[in-house]
Parts: sequence; structure tokens; C-alpha cells
Amino acid sequence: MKMPSQAERAVIKKDFREIWDSRMARGTVLAVPLVLVVALPIVFLVMINTVPPSGMNGVDQMMRLLPAQARGLTPRQGMMYLMTDLLFPAFFLMIPLMASSVAAASSFVGEKERGTLPTLLLTPMSVKRIFHAKTLGCVLLSAIVTAISFVVFAVIVSVGDILLGLPFFLNWSWLALILFLTPAVTVFGVVFMVMVSARSKSYVESVQTSGYLVLPIVLVLIGQLAGLFRLSAWFLLVAAAAVWAADALLWALSGRSFTPEKLLR
Amino acid sequence: MFGFLGPNGAGKTTTVKLLTGLLRPDEGSCSVFGFSPAQKPCEVHRLCGVMTEGAKMYGQMTGTENLIFFGQAFGMKDEDCRDRARGLLKKLDLWDARDRKLRAYSTGMAQRLSLARALMNRPRALFLDEPTSGLDPESAREVNTMIADLARAEDVTVFLCTHQLRYAQDVCSRYGILEKGSLLAYGTLEAISRDAGLHMRASLRLREGDSPAGFERGGDGWWYADVLSEDEMPKLIREAVTGGHEIYEARLIRPTLEDVYFKYVSLNGGKQP
Repeated sequence: MKMPSQAERAVIKKDFREIWDSRMARGTVLAVPLVLVVALPIVFLVMINTVPPSGMNGVDQMMRLLPAQARGLTPRQGMMYLMTDLLFPAFFLMIPLMASSVAAASSFVGEKERGTLPTLLLTPMSVKRIFHAKTLGCVLLSAIVTAISFVVFAVIVSVGDILLGLPFFLNWSWLALILFLTPAVTVFGVVFMVMVSARSKSYVESVQTSGYLVLPIVLVLIGQLAGLFRLSAWFLLVAAAAVWAADALLWALSGRSFTPEKLLR
Repeated sequence: MFGFLGPNGAGKTTTVKLLTGLLRPDEGSCSVFGFSPAQKPCEVHRLCGVMTEGAKMYGQMTGTENLIFFGQAFGMKDEDCRDRARGLLKKLDLWDARDRKLRAYSTGMAQRLSLARALMNRPRALFLDEPTSGLDPESAREVNTMIADLARAEDVTVFLCTHQLRYAQDVCSRYGILEKGSLLAYGTLEAISRDAGLHMRASLRLREGDSPAGFERGGDGWWYADVLSEDEMPKLIREAVTGGHEIYEARLIRPTLEDVYFKYVSLNGGKQP
């Protein structure tokens, strides 16, 4: 992909500003990470450290979910391990997904809804360049939000690990998640929303549709917590490859449907 | 300035969309400054400014920010964007509202800002689709005056779709009349009047009871005769005087754009604008 031109940078900047100026979009982009990787980890951490394991329900069942290499852990350590290994990855994955789809909803559907898309299409920027600039902007915004979230999350979990005497949480699974699956999911959120934008009439409607994207993550989470399966680093790599393939397919399809006639219908 | 006239649904907006590359023709072709809008929309956009009702600007941005953004989208340098925006805001009487968000603008101000946006890239041609729709008569007159002044000052060709026939007659030098997708007439007012079978008329007010030869009496008491050109007028007056008629007043009446327009539309069974 070519470096964005001045005109494309202007579109990206303008899109960022529109997201920030929209209370709903700004709220979602800020609230999702704050709840999922700041508030909830802190609450869990406080609970694990303050509530005696005997006072919690289902600790024994949870401990049975621990993998072989973590069998010798104390109940507090075991719970922290499970949170970091099973629960938080799923929570974390929702951040790029929500940030990218909300950004894309504002950038694509919002522009259409507000009647500003025809004006943009009347500039000398080609439709393809507008599409690229908008997609790049959404991916960039989501990447920034995800990166900041990860740093904050890493600090919180590291504090927990130190308090409980656990090793650093970053393992192969987390690396596969951060380096491969997260970028793939970010792009997926954007291209999915571009597809939705062709049919969606309003920003709110499109954001509601993006809620379906969270379903697979929730199912994986339930499956893991129920002990049905456990996602290894290899599985995450395969999943990332599958999502990248879906990205490429949706990218081609959505790029083809991004024509003035279809957009202004 | 070219006045593109026609009733609602005639295809004026569709024509503008075709000429600006927002629509691809199912068949046939068009070209703007030698470029096909369907094949080379970017080149057409670089040379043209377009103001249509459907092309809105960003409500959360101020007037200045909007113009600068569109200037940048046109690839203009930052300093040039700022200078051009400053100049246009002043010319279009928006200077005092330059730092106000667009959503706080009145409809007339928003239309003027759209006009400024369409002029940002110093276009060679300006497509204006109903630039005064939704405006009160006062604002409409203001915008109309500004369009005519700017078109002259910027030396730009204007393609104006409008229902305001009197205004179009004042400012346009050529016209096109469209009805149900067909161009019924094209040319100067004189040419399209002639094609519509409408002629200039000489009219005389004479003493009561007097009746000149070759003239027909109108309901208002005046006497009328068709003439092919204004050169016939002195001869007609001279003949009337030498014929012993006492002329109180003499007028040469040219068909108005309204006359021509309604003639064409009624000939085609169309509705009024």
C-alpha cells in the first residue's frame, strides 16, 4: 500500500475527529477497553487477593481447568492464571473488534448518513483512494486503542503476577494473539463494517449489526471455561490465518462494492 | 453561464451526476474539457466545482475548517487552502461566521459555504444544481447575486440548474430545456425563441378608434404585430406615422425565457416548474 497522500491524510484526520466528536463513538471506543482490560482485571485482582478461596464458589472446578504445567499453583495463583490465560484473551480480542467496527461505522455509514459522502466523491481523490484512506484510518485508530489497552493491561496483570508470585504472563498464546490474531481481527472489523455499510442506513443500526461479531468470541470463551476445549498458540495462529483469509476476501468484495453508484443509492 | 431548465423529474440532477462522474451512463457518452467523467472522474473533479443539494459538508467542523479540509482533499497546499478559504469567506459574506460550526449556520449561510467549497479549487466550470432551493426569497437573491458576481470575477463557466426563470434570463447567455430526459431546446434565448415559434412583437398605443393595417388589437387596447428582428421596428413606426396614425407609445416586446419555457413544456405535455 502506498504512503497516504496529503489528501488521504486529511481524510484520515477528519475521520478521527468525527469519531472523537461523536459522543456515542467516542464512548464506545473508550468504554470497551476501560471496562474489559482495566476495570475487570482490577476487580478480579482485588477479589483474588482479598477474598479467601474458601469463600468463593466453584474454585475446585476452576482449578481443574488448569493445564498440566500449572498444576502446582495455589488456589489464588491458579485463579489468576486462569483469568490471564482463558478469560482476558477473549476480553482483549473484543477491543480491536469493537474499536475497528465502531470507527468504520462512523467513517463509512456515518458519512453516508450525514450526506457528506457525495461531497467527498466530488474531490479529485479516486474512489479507491478514499476507500483506502478510510480503511487505513479505521485500522490505525483501532491499532492505537488496542496498543494502549495492551500496555495498560500488561501493567495491571504484571502487578497481579508480582503480588501473587507468578511468572510474567506473556506466553506463546498471548504472542500469537497480539501479533497475528489481533491485527487480523482489526482488519476484519473494518471490512465487515464496510460490507454492512452498503446495506445499513444508520450508524446505530450498523453498530448493532457489528454486535454479531462478538458472538464467536463469547462462544470460544464459554467453551474454554466449560472445559470443552483449550486454545493453544497453534490454534490461535491457524485462527489468525483464517481471519486474514476472510479479510482478503471481504476486502476484495467490499472494495468492489465501493463505487459512487452503489454508495449513493 | 448556461441555464439548464426543466420541470422536476426532467433529469437535470441526473445530467449533473453524469457530467461529474457520480453516475455512469447506461449508453452514450459525455465529456467535460475532453475527459470522460465515467472514465476519468478525478480529472473532471480537478477542473470542476460542483454544488448540489445532496453534497453536504461537515456539521461538526467550522466554516473555515470545512473549506480547508476540501482544499486539502483537492491536493492544495495548506497555505493556499488558508488563503483561498479566507478570500472566499470574505467574498461570500461568511467571514464573521468563519469559526462557527456549520451545524449552527442558517440554510442560506450553508448554501453560501457550499458555493465557497465548490470554488475552492479555482474550477474552470461550476455545476450548480438548484443552488437556492430551500432558501427564502431574500437569501435566494443574495446567493444568486453572489453566483453571478463570482462567475464573472473568477472567469468560470457555470452550468446552472434552476427553476428561477427570471433569474436565469438575467444571468445566463445560453439555455437548455430538458423534459423527461430529452433536450428540447439548446442555444441563446433568441435562438430557442425562434425555434419555439415565438417572435418579437411590435406594439403600439394609438388614439382610441384608430386601427393600423397589419396589427391586431390586444385585450389591453394596444395593437400588436409579429416582427422577425428589431430592425423592422423603425420602419413600422414610420409607416404608421406616415399613414396618419397618432402614436402615443411604441414598444418592442421580446419573448421572455418564461414564455419560451412554457411553450416548450406545453408542447411536450409537461408540467410547470
